[in-house]
Amino acid sequence: MEIKQKQIGNLLTFNSQRIFLAGSVLASFGILLVTVGGSWDITNHLLNKPETFFSPPHALMYSGVAIALIGVVTSFFGYRKMQDAKFVFRLPLQLTFFGIFLLVGAGPFDFVWHSNFGLDGLLSPPHLTLISGMLFCSLGGMFGITRFLKFNPSRKILNYLLVLGILPVWLAGSGIISSLSLPFSNTEYFEFNPDPSFAFVVATLAYPFLISLICITSTILSGFRPGIISIVGGLFLLIYGLTAIVPNFAMIESVEFYSMNIIPFLITDLMVSSKKTKFSLFVSGGILGSVFYMVYYPYVMYTYNELLLGKLVSPSMIYHTYFELMPQVIQLTIIPSIIMGLIAVVISFRLSSTIMIED
Amino acid sequence: MIGVIVISLGVYFVMTVYVLPEKFLAKEQFTPSPILEVKISNTEINLGESFRVSTVSENIGEYGDIHIVSIAFPTLSEIDEIVRIVSYDFSNSPIYIAAGDRIGANYSGGLESVIAEYPAIEAMNRPTHPGTKYVMDLQITPKIPGPFVVYVKSIDIPHTSSQSHYPKEGKMDHQGEYVFDYTIKVNP
Repeated sequence: MEIKQKQIGNLLTFNSQRIFLAGSVLASFGILLVTVGGSWDITNHLLNKPETFFSPPHALMYSGVAIALIGVVTSFFGYRKMQDAKFVFRLPLQLTFFGIFLLVGAGPFDFVWHSNFGLDGLLSPPHLTLISGMLFCSLGGMFGITRFLKFNPSRKILNYLLVLGILPVWLAGSGIISSLSLPFSNTEYFEFNPDPSFAFVVATLAYPFLISLICITSTILSGFRPGIISIVGGLFLLIYGLTAIVPNFAMIESVEFYSMNIIPFLITDLMVSSKKTKFSLFVSGGILGSVFYMVYYPYVMYTYNELLLGKLVSPSMIYHTYFELMPQVIQLTIIPSIIMGLIAVVISFRLSSTIMIED
Repeated sequence: MIGVIVISLGVYFVMTVYVLPEKFLAKEQFTPSPILEVKISNTEINLGESFRVSTVSENIGEYGDIHIVSIAFPTLSEIDEIVRIVSYDFSNSPIYIAAGDRIGANYSGGLESVIAEYPAIEAMNRPTHPGTKYVMDLQITPKIPGPFVVYVKSIDIPHTSSQSHYPKEGKMDHQGEYVFDYTIKVNP
């Protein structure tokens, strides 16, 4: 009788954890849609200057919020039914709850802001609320997926769910850095554009840190599984390419340049998955940090242009100005970007331990 | 394996930092080029009557980011109910510029600016593909007799040379940019 009760208890726990996983997957997928919509929205504003809140990128973003909300609710029901292991999934649930609270609040806040002050720029109180919500929610999704995979070793293919967990974190993190560094935030009512020197420092330190942190953390969490860095990096490039380059007719031919960026991800993937040493992780972190100016093509150019050239750059002139700036930017940023890539490796060890609940 | 990694990394940096940038910088930037046809329905009207200003513009050059048609009224201090937009097919709603507003000057795309001396209506299409035509039709009902002056011009952005504005010569407006000017006699 006692054994049977224990078996039922184990089954309930396993099923509730699967429900929690499904919720985390939905939350991550929802945030992925929000981030893709966000990147598309920046391009849409730059190219078409839409005059209404109701645009296709906004529709994609708020569909993503709805999916993430369903995911958080699903996770909550899974969590409630758990017999044990609640402590494992408490942090992911708290993160997604806080994130979705900010996200759901950001929608009406954004609409009210638009109604009162017209179209806002990239950095505005509602947008900052939205992006912070994206980051917290995506972190919760990633923690939930990773912890499920750690405590429920199952089919290998499920390990690639980690990619779905990590990618929205990268995109949301990029969104915060872009908000704090791109000069797209002045409007008729407010001048929220960051100071050009501050923006220069933020972009130079934060982008390389984030690329390295995401890629190295993903490989550690996957147990150095081959292909993880390449898939995460490749999907990031694909999303940026489709939302920031392809919609701009004048930039389509530069896809040739942008697609070269898969090489550093393939190289570091090969190095890390075959060597599995701390040294290989540090070398990879340095390489990944050093390529940030290329990976964040094209919009990163606007940040450096503010301080180094001060040119007025209309959308069809982006790649000319980008390449014109390239030698100067690389000269100024190569060392700090490598250092930030290395620092990110150290942080990746700690972050991975926190996610995997390892002392 | 180290050899493969070093060679791949070398190829990557050589291609992205030297070869491809050289190739792209060697290419000419797009030069959009507007033309503009203006029809004024009357050259003389009686006070209380209206006349129409109809514009058909086109980008006959290469792809551009913005196609602008501006219609200004140097004899007015404010547009009020004198000027009414009857129709337009630009992607963005036309904007009203009031006397005293800060506006771009000298085809600088906003880098140089001046204070507007008189009101105008500006319509924009973003982006502008070659061969696309844009129309705007205004109805104007002057409130005082005398000469009523209308300035019309078109500018494409990026403005890389004199190819990117129309007309290319003639009278200059308060922005230091060439315009067609039309005078309609309003009889008392």
